[in-house]
Amino acid sequence: MPRQEAKAFRDFLLEVGSISDFTARFFREGFKPRYEWSELIRQCYVIGYKTLPLVGVTAFIMGLVLTVQSRPTLEEFGAESYLPSMVALSMIREIGPVITALICAGKIGSSIGAELGSMKVTEQIDAMEVSGTNPFKYLVVTRVTACTLMLPVLVVIADCISLYAAYIGVNFKDVVSLDLFFSKVFDSLVFGDVLPAMIKTYFFGFAIGIIGCYKGYNSTKGTEGVGIAANSAVVVSSLVVFILDLIAVQIADILGLT
Amino acid sequence: MEHLEIHPPPKPVHPSAEVMVRTRDLYKSFGDNHVLQGFNLDLFKGENLVVLGKSGSGKSVLIKCLVGLLSPDKGLVEVFGQEIPKLNQDDLDHIRVKIGFLFQSSALYDSMTVRENLEFPLRRHWISKTRDEVDELVIEALDNVGLKHAVDLMPSELSGGMRKRIGLARTLILKPDIILYDEPTTGLDPITGREISRLIVDIQHKYNTSSIIITHDMGCARIVANRIMVLVNGICYAVGSFEELKNSDDPNIKPFFD
Repeated sequence: MPRQEAKAFRDFLLEVGSISDFTARFFREGFKPRYEWSELIRQCYVIGYKTLPLVGVTAFIMGLVLTVQSRPTLEEFGAESYLPSMVALSMIREIGPVITALICAGKIGSSIGAELGSMKVTEQIDAMEVSGTNPFKYLVVTRVTACTLMLPVLVVIADCISLYAAYIGVNFKDVVSLDLFFSKVFDSLVFGDVLPAMIKTYFFGFAIGIIGCYKGYNSTKGTEGVGIAANSAVVVSSLVVFILDLIAVQIADILGLT
Repeated sequence: MEHLEIHPPPKPVHPSAEVMVRTRDLYKSFGDNHVLQGFNLDLFKGENLVVLGKSGSGKSVLIKCLVGLLSPDKGLVEVFGQEIPKLNQDDLDHIRVKIGFLFQSSALYDSMTVRENLEFPLRRHWISKTRDEVDELVIEALDNVGLKHAVDLMPSELSGGMRKRIGLARTLILKPDIILYDEPTTGLDPITGREISRLIVDIQHKYNTSSIIITHDMGCARIVANRIMVLVNGICYAVGSFEELKNSDDPNIKPFFD
């Protein structure tokens, strides 16, 4: 292996090791008192509530576009009546969780990376430590926990909004009542569609939080490092979301939930 | 108009004052950069000790070792008679409450108002305080630095000098026995720098604090120092009063006073 590739591979392994160590520290510190409840609630508000408008608008557009785009294909086979089922399955099983996670990786991951990165380079994290506060517990544990708890909530809301948008999309050409639309949606869904999709969103949230915090908490090189931290938090967490999704699909398949 | 001459000099140190901070044979390296190479220091109760040295000579590294932000490679670091590197996290946090640290960049928490910045250490350590008691302490700390009116401002709305003062107020709010100042006048105009220096002396008079002041600002050293220690090549090269060192012909000391 050429020397440059070998070095890149070594750096990659070091980074993976370092992130694993950071994750292990999260579990070590996260379950030990004292618990930072007020900061956790504040982070849930910031991460959940303040991301809701962006997630909501995106989900609405996705639901609407998917419905409008799918209709011609289904019409060709005379299968328009399957439109609600098809949109519901697509949104709830795959598109809702993944797109919401990617939006959160962009918004939350970058904001956590930049915030912690800037706190690091301006010595605010050191200031917290010398004041007798554990900055890891206060800054990292709360943000990662909030991300893990809030992402599933955002996904559920995004799914509901996208289904309502799909209902509007169906009514562009047909007249379908809300009751009929949702009865078709729920007829097509089974427990195995919803459960794996919901479980994986916890992992997406955890990954976004831990990577954003890791990049920010370990940023160097002054203000340039803050930009790098924010940028790489988005890139790495988006990639990890796809990898986790792939793993989740394989596991669901093995367990016969697909 | 206030003149430097009428401002009180640093409070004299009692001849039998106890040692608050002691380092012996302190070594710290970063790769091949050997920053501290057997540094010895004694800080007595009620003393203002200035550590003088060129940029990059390891002054900040020294005080970061004193609060456990950095671990020394070798040597003794004792604060209040306790060896800092050997303390567990809880004991270290307990000691840190009694040590104030003013960072070079002030390290105010950007996302919090001045009031919240000052309340932060209080909320962490004096949870039993009532709202009125906390308010009283915040106002008292701000009054000490002459910035009562800035209580509801954000750090971004403050000038460099104001940020230093607020940083000092935050340091004072837990009534520490020892205060470590990391280049308190760096980046300030001479007038503001002099005001900060006078404030350091006022704090020593009012609270009988023991302080280590890291600086290469001779104006600041002249106003605040009971003793000056010159750090050269990682060791304590010389110790004496301002006047004693000023009259030295040593080529390592003279350039500071030229």
